[in-house]
Parts: sequence; C-alpha cells; structure tokens
Amino acid sequence: MKNFIFLLSIFTFGLAFALSAQDVSQLTAQCAANAGDVMYLKDFVVKLDQGTPGGAPPTARFALLLSKNVVYRFSICSAPTSSGEAVLQLFDMNTLLGSTFISATGKEFPFFDFKCQKTGVYHVFVSFKEGKAGEGVGIMSYVKKL
Amino acid sequence: MPKVINYLFIILALTFACKSGESGSNAELEIPDSVLNEGIEISEEVMQDIVQNISSPVEMAALIKDLGVPYSNNYISPTDRVGDLTTSYQQALNLGIYAADLGYLNMYNKTSAVIDYLTSIKTLSDKIKVGQFFDFNTLKRLATNSKNLDSLMYISVHSFNQMDKYLHSNNRTNLSTLIVTGVWIEGLYLGTQVYKLSPNKQLAERIGEQKLTLEQLVLILEKYQKDKQYARLLEELNLIKDLYRAVVIRYEKGEPEMVEENGMLTIVQHDKSIIDISAEQLSGIVTTTEQVRNRLISL
Repeated sequence: MKNFIFLLSIFTFGLAFALSAQDVSQLTAQCAANAGDVMYLKDFVVKLDQGTPGGAPPTARFALLLSKNVVYRFSICSAPTSSGEAVLQLFDMNTLLGSTFISATGKEFPFFDFKCQKTGVYHVFVSFKEGKAGEGVGIMSYVKKL
Repeated sequence: MPKVINYLFIILALTFACKSGESGSNAELEIPDSVLNEGIEISEEVMQDIVQNISSPVEMAALIKDLGVPYSNNYISPTDRVGDLTTSYQQALNLGIYAADLGYLNMYNKTSAVIDYLTSIKTLSDKIKVGQFFDFNTLKRLATNSKNLDSLMYISVHSFNQMDKYLHSNNRTNLSTLIVTGVWIEGLYLGTQVYKLSPNKQLAERIGEQKLTLEQLVLILEKYQKDKQYARLLEELNLIKDLYRAVVIRYEKGEPEMVEENGMLTIVQHDKSIIDISAEQLSGIVTTTEQVRNRLISL
C-alpha cells in the first residue's frame, strides 16, 4: 500500500509538472507567434512570487550577447493565469535601454525593437507590475540586419 | 493565416514533446568523473551566464543570408561519420556543429538536407540522453514542406534551447559547454569561409567581434582542462585566440533614442562598438579556423 501511495504521489507530481511544462511551451509558442514576422532566438521563462510591501519588485535577470548591426525584437507575454502583468526591460550595464512599459506615460507595448550598434553583453529583466506574483515569458527575436 | 496554423501545429507538437521529455529527465549522462569539480573555480551561475551569452546558432547564418551570399554545401559538416562518434565528448561537440549547420540549412530552406541533419542531431542527442527535447517526427514532417520554414525554425531553435536549459539545471554544464563550442566553431567556420570567397565589411566585423565570445568560451573550458579531451580542445581554441589578440574592439558613447511610430516602439542605440581588424589578421583567422574546425570534425 505504501508503495502504491508512493507511486501515486510520483505520478501526480509528474502529471502536474507535465501540465505546467505544457502551459509554458504553449505560452512560449504563442508569444513567439505574436512577435510577428521575425525569427525566434531565445525565450526567458519567468515565475516570480509576490514582492514584500515597500520592497523592490522581484525580478528575473538573463544575460545575453547582442551583435552590432542587428535589429532585435523583445516581446513579453503574461500567462493567462498570472496575477501580475509582466514587464520586460533591456539593460546595458546600468543603463535602461528599453521597456515594454513606460512608467512615465503609462504606455504598454507587447514588444519593442532594438537597433543594436554595440556588440556586447546585455541583460533582460522581467518583473511584474506592482511587484505582484506572476508567470510569463519574454522572447528575443531576430528582425533583420541594419 | 498559414502562420497561425503553423503555430497551432507547434503548440500541439510541443504538448507531446514536453510530455515525452519528462520520461528522460532522470537519465544519467555519461560524463567522465574527472571532468567534474576540477580546474579553476567558476560558479554554476556565472557559467550559465557565460553560456547564455553565446549567440544563437542561427545568427551567423542569418547575417550571411541577409548579405545575399548564395548557399553552398561546402560550408557544412558531413553527417556520414555520426556512427564513429563514440564518446560523450565527441557526441556533444558534434551535436553543436550539426545544430549550427541545421540553422544554416533552415535559413536557406534546404529541406531535403535538413532531414539528414535532424537525424544526426537526434542520434547524437539520444546518445547523450537529451533526445527527448527533439520531437523528431514533427520536425521531419515540417521539413518535408518548404512552407513550414517558420515552424521548423522555431521548433529547431526552441528544442535546442530546452536541451541547453535542461543540461544546466542538471549540472551538466560541461556537456552544454561542448555543444555551445561546437555551435560557435561551426558558426565561425561558416563566416570565415564565406568571407574568404566574398569579403564584406559587416562580415569582417562579425568575425572580429567573435573575440568576445571566444574569450568567454576559453574561460569556461579552462574549468575542465584536467580532462585530456577538454585540454586538447582548449589548445585548439587557443590557436585562434592568439590570432585575436591583435584585434581591437573600441567603444563610442551615445545616448539611446526612443522612437514611437504607428504604435510601435523602437530603441535606437547610439553607443557604438568599432572593430579594428586588418586583412592580414582576418586571413590568419580564416586559415586557422578552417584547420581547427577540420581537426575537430575528424576526431
């Protein structure tokens, strides 16, 4: 009986994980499609807990190498079940280059293009508005050479 | 509309790919114990950052296609030696090489050759127990129709990314490093071979800026250099690295500009990187890359 319960727990856990992985894959494919007529390069899958009151919103960070003379597209999609709305920001060292949410105007963009003129290491940050918990995926795509 | 159908197909395919992927998640990889915990100390997080920094297998191919360079069979590695690759070292390195070739073939819509490369990738990835990330039947089906290029490209690159993430999360960064090295050397070989026949300023710059990636790759490989195979690979890469010493990458500062047009946001970067690379330096890199790459694929 113990063995049966053990096997059942493994099966249940495995099934839950499979569904979760499936949802992520679907969200990634959908988000890549939403990016338009561009070529998918990388994805940034994010799941974050809610931030503490007054603290900085939890953020996921990804390093990436971008090449000069290339236009890249950065897209963001929140999971349908996500409580928070995902925001993607692109940084060069400490300089914010672009964001899918402009806090000064309140404008939101499903993606932005980045005309890269400097080959180097950049960072993508993904967080959720107001530090809420959430799940989402960011996509980096190749648009064209400059 | 066809694109929407393609992506619906992808979603279905990934559904099954993900489920099949779970079964192999506990699979043991055949890694020599001597490779692990040896060499200089670099944290797993830093290594992941470095590996992520290496550009995608399709970027060099995309640049070459955008430059209007015609396709050539001469730039890709033959697949008839897959059966001779018996160690996980050889299998991982060549998996990367074939992944770069697959990106090149996909870019030029060479669907008949794609199946051959997919088969090789599947064989090698099964041998190092990461085959669950490649839904071979779906990829093969997509490869039989030239209208499925977007989907084929997406699933190929996504599968590759998934495999890489899996290797990292299972502390198999040593294998991931080999795969990425294979991708990188084949990408550089492709770029330098094209440059040899069709010299071009943008391509010269792209070759020159590989100095940044090479330095990072060497840094990771040094972690495993107590293993003879890794040490040999490191020696080969250092031959190319020596030639890059004289290549200078300079930077000019500028403020980024945000342009909003028709509801679309574009960021124009005004920082610039300038690559100083001479014809002589390029010639040395072209020749040595060809020699190194050919030695690596003849192992």
